[in-house]
Amino acid sequence: MKLTIVAVTLVALTACAPPGEDSGSGQKTEGPIKVANINAQSGQLSSLGKWENKGVKLAVDEANKAGGVNGRQVQLDLFDDQGDPTVGTNLARKISADGYVAMLGTAESAVTLAMAPILKTAKIPNITSGQSPKLADLKSPFLFLNAPTSVTFDETLAKYLVDEKASKKIALISNNGAYGSGEHDAFLKSLKQRNVTPVADEVVTPEQKDFNSNLAKIRQQNPEVLFIGAEEVQSGLIAKQARELGLKAVFAGGAPMGTDVYATTAGLANAEGSVVSSPYLSNEASPAIKEFAAKYKAVYGEEARLHVAKAYDGASIMIEALKQTGGEGGQKLADAIRGVKRDGLLGQYNYDESGVGIHETKIGLVKEGKAVPAAAS
Amino acid sequence: MLYLAPAAVAAWLLPYGLGGYTMHVVDVAVIFAVLAIGLGLTMGVAGQINLAQVAFFGIGAYTVAILTTKTGLGFWPAAVLAVVASIVAGLLVGIPALRMQSHYLGIVTLGLALGFINWVTNAEIAGRAEGISDIPVPPLFGIDLSSGYLYYYLELVVFVLALAFALFVTRSPLGRRLRAMRDDDLAAGALGAEIPLLRMTAFVLSGLYGGIAGVLYAGLIQFVAPETFNIGNMFLLLAMVIIGGRASVIGCVVGALGLAFVREALLDVSAFAQLGYGVIVVLVVVFFPKGLAGLPAQVFRRKRAERPRLSPFIPYDEAPAVEAQTVLEIDQITKRFKGLIALQDISLSVPAGQIRGIVGPNGSGKTTLFNVISGFYTPTAGRVRLAGTFVTGAAPYRLSLKGVARTFQNLRLFEDLTVRDNILVAADRTRTSWIWRYLALPWTVSTYDRGLRSRADDVLGRFGLTGFADVVPRSLPYGIQRRIEIARAMAMRPSLLLLDEPAAGLNGDEVRQLAEIVRSIRDSGVTVVVIEHNMGLVMSLCDHVTVLSGGRVIADGTPDEVAVDPRVVEAYLGDSMAAPTEDDTDREAEHEHADR
Amino acid sequence: MQVFLQTLIGGITFGAVYALVAMGFSIVYRTMGLVNFAHGSVVMIGAYAASTFYMATRLPFAVAMVVAIVVTGLIGLVIERFLRPLENKDFTLMLIGTIGFGAVLEALAILIWGATGHAVPNPVATEPINLGGVRIPTYSLLVIGVAAVATTMLALFLRRTKLGAAMQAVAMDHEAATACGIHVGRSNALSFGIGAGLAAVAGSLIGPMLYVNPTMGGTLGIKGFAAAMLGGFGSMPGAIVGGMAFGLLDAFAAGNFQAYSELVTFVVFALAVMIRPTGIFGEATVNRA
Repeated sequence: MKLTIVAVTLVALTACAPPGEDSGSGQKTEGPIKVANINAQSGQLSSLGKWENKGVKLAVDEANKAGGVNGRQVQLDLFDDQGDPTVGTNLARKISADGYVAMLGTAESAVTLAMAPILKTAKIPNITSGQSPKLADLKSPFLFLNAPTSVTFDETLAKYLVDEKASKKIALISNNGAYGSGEHDAFLKSLKQRNVTPVADEVVTPEQKDFNSNLAKIRQQNPEVLFIGAEEVQSGLIAKQARELGLKAVFAGGAPMGTDVYATTAGLANAEGSVVSSPYLSNEASPAIKEFAAKYKAVYGEEARLHVAKAYDGASIMIEALKQTGGEGGQKLADAIRGVKRDGLLGQYNYDESGVGIHETKIGLVKEGKAVPAAAS
Repeated sequence: MLYLAPAAVAAWLLPYGLGGYTMHVVDVAVIFAVLAIGLGLTMGVAGQINLAQVAFFGIGAYTVAILTTKTGLGFWPAAVLAVVASIVAGLLVGIPALRMQSHYLGIVTLGLALGFINWVTNAEIAGRAEGISDIPVPPLFGIDLSSGYLYYYLELVVFVLALAFALFVTRSPLGRRLRAMRDDDLAAGALGAEIPLLRMTAFVLSGLYGGIAGVLYAGLIQFVAPETFNIGNMFLLLAMVIIGGRASVIGCVVGALGLAFVREALLDVSAFAQLGYGVIVVLVVVFFPKGLAGLPAQVFRRKRAERPRLSPFIPYDEAPAVEAQTVLEIDQITKRFKGLIALQDISLSVPAGQIRGIVGPNGSGKTTLFNVISGFYTPTAGRVRLAGTFVTGAAPYRLSLKGVARTFQNLRLFEDLTVRDNILVAADRTRTSWIWRYLALPWTVSTYDRGLRSRADDVLGRFGLTGFADVVPRSLPYGIQRRIEIARAMAMRPSLLLLDEPAAGLNGDEVRQLAEIVRSIRDSGVTVVVIEHNMGLVMSLCDHVTVLSGGRVIADGTPDEVAVDPRVVEAYLGDSMAAPTEDDTDREAEHEHADR
Repeated sequence: MQVFLQTLIGGITFGAVYALVAMGFSIVYRTMGLVNFAHGSVVMIGAYAASTFYMATRLPFAVAMVVAIVVTGLIGLVIERFLRPLENKDFTLMLIGTIGFGAVLEALAILIWGATGHAVPNPVATEPINLGGVRIPTYSLLVIGVAAVATTMLALFLRRTKLGAAMQAVAMDHEAATACGIHVGRSNALSFGIGAGLAAVAGSLIGPMLYVNPTMGGTLGIKGFAAAMLGGFGSMPGAIVGGMAFGLLDAFAAGNFQAYSELVTFVVFALAVMIRPTGIFGEATVNRA
């Protein structure tokens, strides 16, 4: 008990003299510029994290080879958030204490959301790969997205399905994870604006593997379109089981459905004709993308994909902004990022006050496991 | 307590040497330490497998988050409600513990934890998958707790209080009962421990610590999301407690702090880190089952200069003769197990001050009879009366508090408690509901405990066990363990003592000592009923003998009368005269049906 | 009605897989009192072994399954050898020790195959059978069939062979079996091997149904374990019934409670186990109170 009394008195004392309060966050003007890449390298969604890291690394390596930022090299350090927001907040504090000027990642909106307040206080600009509308809602001056939010994805999708294709009977199936629920809410909102009520709205858990029950209910409504709001693998499983049940509806969804993981999980035949809304449809969409995909394949020996491309775009924007500030971080860097107008792999980057840079997506159709622009079909 | 002083000073000065981020890591580690204490108390001390600790943590954090952000309640009122909520959750999750133990309890608590995660991922009020951000910084007399340094001191105070309370509980009568329940819940019940209430107490403690940790977490991180309370973190917590040494509160703290820092250090090489972490866990479990806390004892094996010797038994004072009154009366008891009739229409009555022998061949129902008398079994029919009051079907702890003490055929000492603690558990005669004093009047607990200790010392001295007071029974010779069990039963100050084969495995000398002890116990005014196979001992010791065979009483009388009864001779001949030393059937029955 | 029947099909298919996983838990538990929490990860390794071999060699799926059984059987023997000191001992230690092994297997899978995982082509790619609007995928029939065959073979082995009888004896009474001259260590190793083999069967079957990745073992393990408990831990018929029950519970909860299905599943499970702690068939060995 004595101990506690002592402790209490000492706490009162420290109120006057807090220890080590100012950790030297002074900006250095020489030596390498420290940029952190935070992404899940372990756990359920580590595949996303690994792709993101490869994309970021490619951009940084290129910049360094070309002489770096005003002669200074960019030092890219990878941190594993394990997909856990708590670890994310730890890392946010770590990079702010260790003098990093900028942060790239994460691929998971929940982790980025958790980190955002800390990075805002520490004035560290963050270009995230998350696409939850809640990220834009934060309106943090230090948070930027390297891709559109679900709202854009799903608005484009709804426009295509309802306005162009005149589909009326639309069913929804989505999971209740951060990504799935974001997709669900955004798509539902877009449908509402068009006065379309979905004929079915099934919600599953991210862990779920058997969708017979949910899909049988959907089948009873005989929809023309089935919107799938889930990550790559689960989208694939849903598509596969839906076809096995004899569901004839066209599948539609966001970026995950443009991936090979989706197509192979569903089976190429089942995935055929799926409608994808994505800013990055294929590795052949434009000469710039072709060049990038070739470069990527040469370095890593695998095909490029959306996650790689947007991470590459994000890192390139960051480097461009760093060049403008001469390696300086803080408010100046954030303003510089906002000012970058880049013709990127995902489209025209033009940041608004909520930190969203890309405001449109394209519609693609899956053909033999690959997404191709809808216009071309 | 001395070794805590430098630790306290170090903990106090720690922030002065740390960077901002390291400080934050320490802040998180301290929260895990609080959680680990809670898990250690439930699992290590009370032996309740609880895989929902991380959910209690979550309930604490989420309650603060929801109340502060959605209802605008202040941080501290929300914190109090959060701790209450976690305790309530602890009570709910604890209910299954009344019906099941070990891996059953493990998977059910794990399932409920998964259910909790599922709920917060869905519920609008809990912010769904994205969680709740913008939890306010706790206000504290103008101290800015958004600073990791100052927050550390808040945590330190809470942590020290939590640790002190945990140490206090473990070393108090309650802690001993919890540990006794962990080692052998049947024996603990027979010694007066109210098992259901104790199990609930364990889960309440779990909820309490989980809730406190959750509040600290919400205040520190100011953000909650379902992912933080997932199964992976539950296993991490479990590893902390196991590696640290689950039975030791300090061990749990060391394990938690240690693993939190190791995890931090290996953050960047995750795949290999996971490999290494898995390997370490396996190695610790196989080679150091008691964890880091058990390491000193394992490395520096106690050099015992000389083995203490058993001192002679000091006889009790003879009690003045009381008028003959029936202490135990059994009326037409029948007990059936799934068609098997173990006891049929047994009636007998034992007057005060008698040594009653119960003999019979293997499987004749002797131990079953004891189990009925001491409340382990509820008889299928018939009634048991204790000093005139009906006690049929009463729980073992109630009978124990009414003065029934027993020993067990196959020794049921609490293996991981010292001899003194074994005696102390028995000496504690309070109801479990007495534990409200732990929170309200902790000093009365200390006073009470001092009284218990002096009584225990008396018992140890009387039975000549003082030299063994601080060793665990497992390390002692069998004969001494037998004597400890009798001493433990007598520490309850019973009026009726049931001895189940007290002479089994004893040598001639020890049997003589036993007879002397039992006579002295009788002379002190305690009625003794003894099951025994050693016919020589029965003949010389017992005043009266009841013979059972096939679940029925076949003879009843003085030793001399019974010995010549033709039915007795026949029953024993039928058992091929083998002087049985073990009663396998009875023991099996005890195992199979001991469900209370 | 159609929805009901269709849900039933899905539930039974997954139930068959849970039953195989549950049997793996039970056979190890009944012979050695060891709850093997690494079992889910062994299933995952089985899935990887079978799918990698199948996709690399294009040999029949059955051959791949045999390869997977051999691989996991060996892993099973290694785990048994390491954890032998813990057998029939402290439950908490076994719990954490086998969880540790699970972590090791998962980390190895990440190092060998990468974190991404892969999809496995369906070995019987034919149209589902249509029964009055209820569609039964042919692969589901294969899963149920293989599970049934594996169960029957195991039952015959335990009943009809000398080795099997010896294992039964060890399950009933350790000491008595030793006294009868049965090599308990060998019998334990065998049961661990069989348990791991069952995991491989489950893993290779589930590969083409799902997607093979290093973390797939977690949920399968927990649900398989819960299924074993629901049926009566250590009992073989219990594992089958428990597996089916859990599969159906899962399927119907998903249809009726949507995103809250997991909460409902586990609360129902907790209540069922509370009402009947020994499961449907009763626990085979060890007392518990």
